[in-house]
Amino acid sequence: MKQIVGVADMKVSNNPAESVITYSLGSCIGLVVYDPAVRVGGMLHYMLPESSIDREKAVARPFMFADTGIPILFKSAYQLGAVKSRIRIYVAGGAEILDQKGFFNIGKRNYMALKKMFFKNNVIIHKQDVGGNTNRTVRLEIGTGDIYVKTSGAGEVKI
Amino acid sequence: MSSLQYLLAEIQNLKPIPAVAHQLLEIVDNPGSSMEDLANVIQYDPVMTANVLRTCNSVYFGLKHPAECIKDAVNMLGTDQVIELVLLKSGAASFSGSQEGYGLEEGEMWRYSVSSAVIAKQMAVKLGLANKNTIFTASLVKDIGKIILEKYVARSRHKILALVEKENLSFREAEKKVLGIDHAELGAMIAKTWKFSPKMVKIIRHHHLADETMIKDKEVAIVYLADCICMMIGIGVGSDGLAYRFRDMTLRELGLNADDMALMIAEYGANMQEIENLLNIV
Repeated sequence: MKQIVGVADMKVSNNPAESVITYSLGSCIGLVVYDPAVRVGGMLHYMLPESSIDREKAVARPFMFADTGIPILFKSAYQLGAVKSRIRIYVAGGAEILDQKGFFNIGKRNYMALKKMFFKNNVIIHKQDVGGNTNRTVRLEIGTGDIYVKTSGAGEVKI
Repeated sequence: MSSLQYLLAEIQNLKPIPAVAHQLLEIVDNPGSSMEDLANVIQYDPVMTANVLRTCNSVYFGLKHPAECIKDAVNMLGTDQVIELVLLKSGAASFSGSQEGYGLEEGEMWRYSVSSAVIAKQMAVKLGLANKNTIFTASLVKDIGKIILEKYVARSRHKILALVEKENLSFREAEKKVLGIDHAELGAMIAKTWKFSPKMVKIIRHHHLADETMIKDKEVAIVYLADCICMMIGIGVGSDGLAYRFRDMTLRELGLNADDMALMIAEYGANMQEIENLLNIV
């Protein structure tokens, strides 16, 4: 079965028969967490770095922003039995348009927001496929923890 | 025949956007026109009228009494909603297929066209521009060139992508270098053949700002920016990826900054369901 994570959305699962997938990340980030010991995994698809830009929307749609979405993803995984020290992390997306510099570079800012939070909380990224100008789709198999990335116009590749 | 001549021949074979869309655009952005003018234009096209009425009377709108004519529909749903329905229905046939040359599956191009049109219209309203419906339509059909060019892009995809990767060209620039024409130029030629207004032809022609001086044109700037926002959100991004040029001056020309851009992305995120609904009813 396929659990689809929409834009500004999050899903966690401990059903080994399930696949969690998010499509077409663009400058958004797809954050995958997985604890192999209990086979619990989750995925967040956020659009923007900081919720301070629109608090009201952050309350209604916390998964739209890195700072409000990431903590909920971790907590939801913990609730299914995942443990922080065992969690493996994969990050994809954060692509940029050519010449998109500085504060205009939403993809890079999305990635930096995550790095900042991870640094503060002693979280290490195990693998990543971020930046550049390609559009990515990410899939996690809950049973195995295998992660697949597909870029538009090309095949799916196991990470 | 050269490839360019083949392309021109294909334009003639393309099913054009219904004439009612043009007539509608001529009156809707004219402040002097009335609701009656609007109804008269749509009624002239019986297929479109039936089509619009069917949608108006669908469960989605939940009307208490069915709309029996376009005037009813305008009274019940409002002018803007009816105009939008006609324009969407005009574009649907051309854009709903797949564009494999660009790595877009069935429906992806249409979702992208509708999303960028909705974003562009919101921006036009926010900035107080009078001709929001022209901007909506231009945004909706700006990639019409891709419909024809996709086959040619498919054949030369490796060459095009190699130029993007190795020579740091944008996908549009690489298209132009390899095929002799890019999808914006071809789109403008199609628009001309279909007798679109010069304004519309101009917006389509410049929607990637190949000519940077076009930044000064607010309509072009809005359609361009709405396209960039779609790319960032990942809508309609195929094998061309996000390999187009970003011009931050566009925002400045419109009196906007990076936060405004982020807010527009958030706005889309909050209203996604409305766009899905729109896609389902058209």
